Amino acid sequence: MSDDNEVIRRSADEPAVFGVLFDRHATSIHRYAARRLGQQAADDVMAETFLVAFERRAAFDVGVADARPWLFGIATTLMKQRARLEAKAWKGMVAALAAEITPDALERSDEQIDAERMSRRLASALRALHARDRDALLLYAWGDLDYEGVAAALGIPVGTVRSRLNRARRRLRGAVGADPTSDLERDHGRVDAAAQRA
Amino acid sequence: MDELTLLRNAHDEIEPPSDAAMAAAKAALIERIEAESVVGAGAPTAGRSAAGRPPREHPWRRRVGFAGLGTVAAGGVIVALVATNVLGFAGWRGGADAAAAAVLHEASVAAIANSDPVVGPGQYLRIDSSAVYGTTVGGSAGGASASFLTIVEEELYIPADRDDEWVWIRPLSSVYETFGPESEEAARLSMEAVTAGMGADYVERLRAPRGEFYGSPALHDPARLDSLPRDPHRLLNQIYTETAGAGQSPDGEALVWIADTLRTGAVPADLRAAMYEAAAMIPGVTVTEEQANLDGRVGIAIGRLEEADGARQDLIIDPATGQLIGERRVQTRDDGFGFPAGTTTSWTAVTTSVVDAAPEGGTPNGRHDDQGCVKGEQPGSFDCPNKR
Repeated sequence: MSDDNEVIRRSADEPAVFGVLFDRHATSIHRYAARRLGQQAADDVMAETFLVAFERRAAFDVGVADARPWLFGIATTLMKQRARLEAKAWKGMVAALAAEITPDALERSDEQIDAERMSRRLASALRALHARDRDALLLYAWGDLDYEGVAAALGIPVGTVRSRLNRARRRLRGAVGADPTSDLERDHGRVDAAAQRA
Repeated sequence: MDELTLLRNAHDEIEPPSDAAMAAAKAALIERIEAESVVGAGAPTAGRSAAGRPPREHPWRRRVGFAGLGTVAAGGVIVALVATNVLGFAGWRGGADAAAAAVLHEASVAAIANSDPVVGPGQYLRIDSSAVYGTTVGGSAGGASASFLTIVEEELYIPADRDDEWVWIRPLSSVYETFGPESEEAARLSMEAVTAGMGADYVERLRAPRGEFYGSPALHDPARLDSLPRDPHRLLNQIYTETAGAGQSPDGEALVWIADTLRTGAVPADLRAAMYEAAAMIPGVTVTEEQANLDGRVGIAIGRLEEADGARQDLIIDPATGQLIGERRVQTRDDGFGFPAGTTTSWTAVTTSVVDAAPEGGTPNGRHDDQGCVKGEQPGSFDCPNKR
């Protein structure tokens, strides 16, 4: 099966093959958008992302095999117009997160109160992040892109991704109560499956 | 648990897109792909199939409403309240819901911050508008009525010195949307009748000092706009007073008044800001659509549903700049006039810019002058030799 860049290159003369990209990546774009904006808006973002991608396909760097960072970048830009929805989605996240951490909702333990407090703080810390840092963080955490992928999606150098992620994570970490000064690059607690996936 | 794990766990249960959503998105993409393929093959771009102008009342006055019944009593109450209350009516009975009020407030602040472009000496404020209106025919003699939508795209040039000559370019309208065979036939007949006199390519050109086209003062009359209060409470009270007795309800009509005034495109930033704040004080106003697309531009729709007739009046605002993208009326339920429930029965999208020149030509009464009509006895009426 041909790589994404081959599909896009061919679509210059044969527009119809562009549909292949949709079949490959629509679901993951949707998943990322749904986490940020909720299910309904994600439907729109998914659809619009591929319309925009099709119209701008001439601008795609055909030296890059994987189109996901490019598509996620488009989706992220489209989501900027929906900042209001995003704030609402975060409120929902607080509830979802609290339930996730303490499944037993009947016994309201100290632990649950802590979990709720923690998720509320996390949500408000997310809201307080600079939009640039937030985009980098959420592409990484929810879009499952690695550093290079985030860099390509946002059109910034990898070093900048690193510093934005560090800053964002430090803010969140400070908000949820962990030690904000620890060195994030050497953080053993981090769940970094995406970064190890090439 | 570290912050990244916490973040990843949040929303981990997210549902994949539904089959319907996937199918719709894929279909939209295919459609776009095919459209491009057709253009690439050299097919002609879509042209205007028919052009014409439905009968209408004074331009810029509010569109012919299908409502209008049962308003007298409500109007009476309002007049009494406004007349007897020094404080007025605004802000007493709650206002827009919190989300709508927040959007309107934000837009109001942005309108002030992004002040209007300056129209220098000799320049013009150019207002481009696309307006869609509903037309309903039939319904008499036991027959069902049929409705269709027409669109007209106009340009208005307002000189820096508003006492100078204004220029207004008005092509004939064309059919925008029909709803089934009867509607299509009604639209065809209506367009035929309209274009029979002047020809489909006719463009009406008007030129008159102070924008007094057809011998009537402009709704954009700067003196009138200048005289309106900039304090939102006072403004809303004045609106309630001016609109007393019209429309289905005082609140609904107040929002319609605001929409009608804003859609002229000539409202200065400070007044626009006050109007947004006034709208935030109207009970029943809510965010009706987060991502409303009007004529290709996207903004937040703020509106109010009139329960009595199921019509919803929306303002579509770009909250970042405080610019009005346009306004629309949505018929939320079947009203028996031939518009399917959910039809946007009219909308206006406006854009403004500053230009160095206005088109040549034009007369104060436009098509009436072109047809050799003379002023009638009623203000704004004309007697024409070939009156149809």
